[in-house]
Amino acid sequence: MSYQEKNITVSLVSYLLIMGYYLVKLFQMFQEGGLVSTKLFSLWALVILATIIVNIIASILTNIVLTIVEAIKAQKYDEPRFIADERDQLIGLKGIRSSYITFSVGVLVSVLAFAFGQPPLVMISLIIFFAIAAEIIGDISQIYLYRRGF
Amino acid sequence: MEKCQVRNNIRKLRFHHDEMTQEQLAVKVGVTRQTIIAIEGAKYPPSLVLAFRIALVFGVHLGEVFSYDPEDESNQTINKTS
Repeated sequence: MSYQEKNITVSLVSYLLIMGYYLVKLFQMFQEGGLVSTKLFSLWALVILATIIVNIIASILTNIVLTIVEAIKAQKYDEPRFIADERDQLIGLKGIRSSYITFSVGVLVSVLAFAFGQPPLVMISLIIFFAIAAEIIGDISQIYLYRRGF
Repeated sequence: MEKCQVRNNIRKLRFHHDEMTQEQLAVKVGVTRQTIIAIEGAKYPPSLVLAFRIALVFGVHLGEVFSYDPEDESNQTINKTS
């Protein structure tokens, strides 16, 4: 497994955890009698911040851990070759395309839900759900392309 | 998995260059070993710049490293339509 694949896997796991947390909290709100705007606003803020911060921290930690592991394996410190070459960039672009398609469909579904009488809170909740889902789909498609041998 | 129409002799050329490893070739042309594996297995067609770099490492013309097989393309088109 290349460095890029490991990085994407860590990113995927962090997005899955955030998505799990978001869905559990939403489900709890529904069970407690519906969406409460004050609670929902703080949940959105938390999820959006977590999506940004967790991903950055995960990326830095992955880099550090992989450098240490490589140094232990080689019994000496070499400048790590964590380069993203043309194939990595192409796979990255394909992943971004999958993310955009998923997010576009998600925004359409959210707006349609609003148009058919759902409250704005549901629409924004759906948009945030699809934003995280888009990142997950993007990461999965990249891992698939790496595994398939593109 | 579809293979690309660009064939190559990288395995043979590596053998004739003191059994150069994929990692050594990857370092010389500035890509990852996974990319060399994909190119060698005809699963990824390299960019023109990378193809020239690989040919330069082996000291041969581009045509001696890579070849294009248009029949493969027509076979793939037939398979897709059938």
